[in-house]
Amino acid sequence: MNISKNWLAAYIDLDGLDTREMADMLTFAGIEVEAMHERGVTTDQVVVAQVVRKSPVEGSDHLNVCMVDAGEGSLRQIVCGAQNYQVGDKVPCALPGAVLPGGWQIKEGKMMGHASCGMLCSASELGLPDKEHGLWILPQDYKVGTPVRQFTGIDTLFELEITPNRPDLLSHWGMARELAGITGRTLKADPGENLLSTEPAGERILLSAPEICPLYTATRISGVKIGPSPEWLAERLLAIGLHPINNVVDITNYCLFELGHPLHAFDASQVQGALNIRLAHQGESFTSLMDDDFALQENDLVISDSSGRALALAGVMGGKNSGVTENTSDIILESAWFLPGSVRRTGRRLGLSSDSSYRFERGAAPWNTLRAAARAVQLILECAGGKAEPTLVAGQAPALVPDQQAQQATVLQQGTSAKVYCALPQVQLDWNELDVMTNATISHMEAARILRNLGLKEAKPSCWDCPPWRLDLKRSCDLLEEVVRVYGIANIPPTRTAIYVPESSHDRLHDFRCNLSRHLAGAGFWEVQTFKLIAEQSADPTIASVQYALPIKPLQSGDIIRVALPLSEEHTVLRPSLAPGLLAVAARNLNQGLDVLRFFESGRVFRNTGGGKGKDIESEVLGILMAGKLAPASWDHLKPQSAGAQHLTAILETLLPKSRITVLPAKVARDAAAISADISVNGQTCGFMARVALSVCRALDLPTDCYYVELDLRKLQQLSTASFKVKDLPLYPASGRDATLEVPVNMQHADIMKAVESVKQKLLESCRLKEIFCDPSGGKLAEGRKAMTYSFLYRNSSATLTAAEVDAAHGELLKALAAKLPDICYR
Amino acid sequence: MKEQIVRVQDAALGQIAAAKCIKDLESARVAILGKNGALTQVQQGMRNVPKEDKPAVGSLLNAARCAISAALETRTRELQEQADRAAIANVDITLPGASLPPGGLHPISLVREEAVRILRRMGFTLADGPEIEDEWHCFDALNTPADHPARNEKDTFYFDSGKLLRTQTSTVQARVMEKQAPPVRIICPGSAFRRDAIDATHLSAFNQIEGLYVDRMVSVGDLKGTLEYFLKALFGDNTAVRFRPHFFPFTEPSFEIDVLLQATGQEPRWIEIAGCGMVNPAVFENIDCKSGKDFYQGCTGFAFGIGLERLAMIRWGIRDIRLLIENDVRFLAQFQ
Repeated sequence: MNISKNWLAAYIDLDGLDTREMADMLTFAGIEVEAMHERGVTTDQVVVAQVVRKSPVEGSDHLNVCMVDAGEGSLRQIVCGAQNYQVGDKVPCALPGAVLPGGWQIKEGKMMGHASCGMLCSASELGLPDKEHGLWILPQDYKVGTPVRQFTGIDTLFELEITPNRPDLLSHWGMARELAGITGRTLKADPGENLLSTEPAGERILLSAPEICPLYTATRISGVKIGPSPEWLAERLLAIGLHPINNVVDITNYCLFELGHPLHAFDASQVQGALNIRLAHQGESFTSLMDDDFALQENDLVISDSSGRALALAGVMGGKNSGVTENTSDIILESAWFLPGSVRRTGRRLGLSSDSSYRFERGAAPWNTLRAAARAVQLILECAGGKAEPTLVAGQAPALVPDQQAQQATVLQQGTSAKVYCALPQVQLDWNELDVMTNATISHMEAARILRNLGLKEAKPSCWDCPPWRLDLKRSCDLLEEVVRVYGIANIPPTRTAIYVPESSHDRLHDFRCNLSRHLAGAGFWEVQTFKLIAEQSADPTIASVQYALPIKPLQSGDIIRVALPLSEEHTVLRPSLAPGLLAVAARNLNQGLDVLRFFESGRVFRNTGGGKGKDIESEVLGILMAGKLAPASWDHLKPQSAGAQHLTAILETLLPKSRITVLPAKVARDAAAISADISVNGQTCGFMARVALSVCRALDLPTDCYYVELDLRKLQQLSTASFKVKDLPLYPASGRDATLEVPVNMQHADIMKAVESVKQKLLESCRLKEIFCDPSGGKLAEGRKAMTYSFLYRNSSATLTAAEVDAAHGELLKALAAKLPDICYR
Repeated sequence: MKEQIVRVQDAALGQIAAAKCIKDLESARVAILGKNGALTQVQQGMRNVPKEDKPAVGSLLNAARCAISAALETRTRELQEQADRAAIANVDITLPGASLPPGGLHPISLVREEAVRILRRMGFTLADGPEIEDEWHCFDALNTPADHPARNEKDTFYFDSGKLLRTQTSTVQARVMEKQAPPVRIICPGSAFRRDAIDATHLSAFNQIEGLYVDRMVSVGDLKGTLEYFLKALFGDNTAVRFRPHFFPFTEPSFEIDVLLQATGQEPRWIEIAGCGMVNPAVFENIDCKSGKDFYQGCTGFAFGIGLERLAMIRWGIRDIRLLIENDVRFLAQFQ
């Protein structure tokens, strides 16, 4: 909200307070100053000048060369683009060297070949409210050469962020009241204190939806003369960025920004019979002031008349045909209270927001309803003349006080014949809570003084009447907040306490994840963070899309969790796997010329267990992607190898050095995988490896040697963090023997290892693949065959093996293997 | 015999001196001291030396062997040194490093890890909760009224099931307190989601760290002491920290925290870094009411939340938040 310092000064003594101090004051009252603008001319180098001659610049449709008298004894030539001045007019002239608001310095220059020694200014160029849309035409009695600052006031505009709990601050009076409460500065006369003559509305106002509009007042003023607002009023509106329209409309706006309560003025000639505040009919149409058409729904509240036509959308916006125009002579001034949720619902659904709806949504004080009406009536009679009838009052102020308090609550009365009763909220203050909260830093006397300054009254010991504008004060902690806020947290000494807390499973997972991440970073992988909401399908390879998902468990239809109202097609579903994100990252970086594509991410993946009907499951997983070259080419290694599954397996082995990692062909293939494998750690499956389908790689322009691993982090953590004991070092030497197995090309290493293990040769310590040989030409090895050489290491833990013992054991093993593995021979 | 010894010795020493490499020297050693070596052969002549001459010839022979061995040893060392020098003579130590694949952690991980490390040192333990939340844990428990603007499908991602993506990690406060009796002293680093269009300063999914301490007699002073310590540990001991009153539904009083930071060549500025406050008693009541337990009656506590993207942007001068999700290696490589 915008607050003008000059306007504010009409209600509170701000003498001797500079803007910086005031900004700090607001800040520490919990009112964030988003920006401050100095308004007005602060330099002597903008002077009054008279236009002596003007002639159009050839070739331009709007520029004129002007000769102006700036009181310097000789004329000054200035090129000017404005249209709204005549020869003889007096205007502000910024001389070269002048610095205008925004830090803009005026220099001598040339425009279309004509020298220009200064600038003729509009009011907005001088940081002042602009009334003319062109040069600022000054009164003729100003003397040329006089600095313009002598005629202009200086103001500061504060752009403030008001938190949603404080609708009472959304006006100049409200802000003044707050500052007075906080600083003890003197508050001047309350502009809302006028007495209003009222009478019951009877059948002249129908409250057809009393739960949404429980209080409605209307004042008929006849014989008003619509015209421009008086200068002082127009200037205040201009100062906060509003454009004056006419006296009546301006006064309703003015009262809103003065007292914080929205008002609306109808042209009485457009209103037939009684006003009816009713819910709209489904599909009812409404045309706003701005000429936009809306289709209403049954929970929208409208102001209607006996013709049945909707004259206004309650609290949100006036209608097209009932507004005040220059021909209006009788008006009906509305001041009412609408339920915040209702105004918000309608405003949001229709995309309409106004200064009125903003205040009603946040909760206007019912107490302000008649005050604002009284103030507006007073100003209208003053500025537009006419005769006011007594204000019609329908309904009663809503009871915003809890029932249990209502009996004892202090009640304020407003109005004459028809009275509006506002019960004051009463709050019990627990002094002990204050002592705990502040370590007894704030004395009870000091706290009571703070509350009294804010308008609270101690009705009984520890029981406070809250002022009618502070609807946010409901419980003890609300009062404590006020005390701490005004006392200042800066004055409460910091304390440091800590307790011992047990480590949680989340702590352990966090540490486990950090260790894996650091290890992977050290092994040459980039950690990335991709979006959890991904596209269902996307043509852009750098956008993660679910079509490339390789989830740990295959997806059924409905497993993917979709948001109801996505921001865009690119973020419609929660990722079921990290693969789409990592593939998109690889594609993106490949486009930047990277040929070593090694990335990982750890984070959550999401799915529904029962095709959309089961539970939503969130799992922590680690995804690792490897594609392209293994390492960047360098002078000592011109042609690095391409990534292969074995390299990714090697990474897993170094990642989990104490665990036995096996990669076996998957039982269920994954859609986007050319080759799928399951990864088990110490015999338990906890993830998968895949060679990404070549068609996917081609679609993403990725190299076809693209491998991906996804592991369930929690499972992995359980399986790999067992404690261990150190083994004794062997006392006796080991002895090795190699054997070359000629096997069918489709036989897998895992099959051979499984066979070796099943032989259970007691002396065998380890078995390691040493070499694979194929000869596609069929010269050295028959087609369809490959030779795999393994090194077997034998050891007896209690004696040195003799060559004969080793040979015997080796021979036995080979014989047993030949029996177990079909179609093999030794070479 | 004696002349023969002297001759062999002279020849041997000449041979040794002439050896150009270790291999030459080894052949020389074999030719002199080997089985059929010159000196070995001379030694075999000892048999024929008259008994009375034997001591003198023997000692001459011994002296020759010693001299030859010493010469061999010296020459071996010389040649080895020579060879060693030659072996490294042309090594260019200034060549660029051969390439290993580089890697690194994401900046969000770096700031998260640092913040978590400090907070755990201060006695906070980690907690977590689901990102797909229900309205109760995200809003109702946290004292956000049913018609609050944030509870709108234009601001929050909802699912058809009625659940939603949590808009703040504060949900974890409710998740932990409904299960655990006080004291509670937790932090939760995690993701939160808001339906904001993505631009240079907004992401629709972002990272926060939530903190909560609830016990008997927790005061505003504790809140202040804890967060001042934390922020000074994060930004440096001399960092000025200030608390500004603010409003959040789930805390009262609520504050925003600013730190005074100075970018190079600029005036120091107060930068908003976190939100915090004393847990609103309504939150305790909501949770006790739901869990049917009386855990939190008479408790006080404080909560805080800090945005990790913002922290990273401030720390490293990142001007566009989107860099944090684009994962361009040219960006990531700067955090190695």
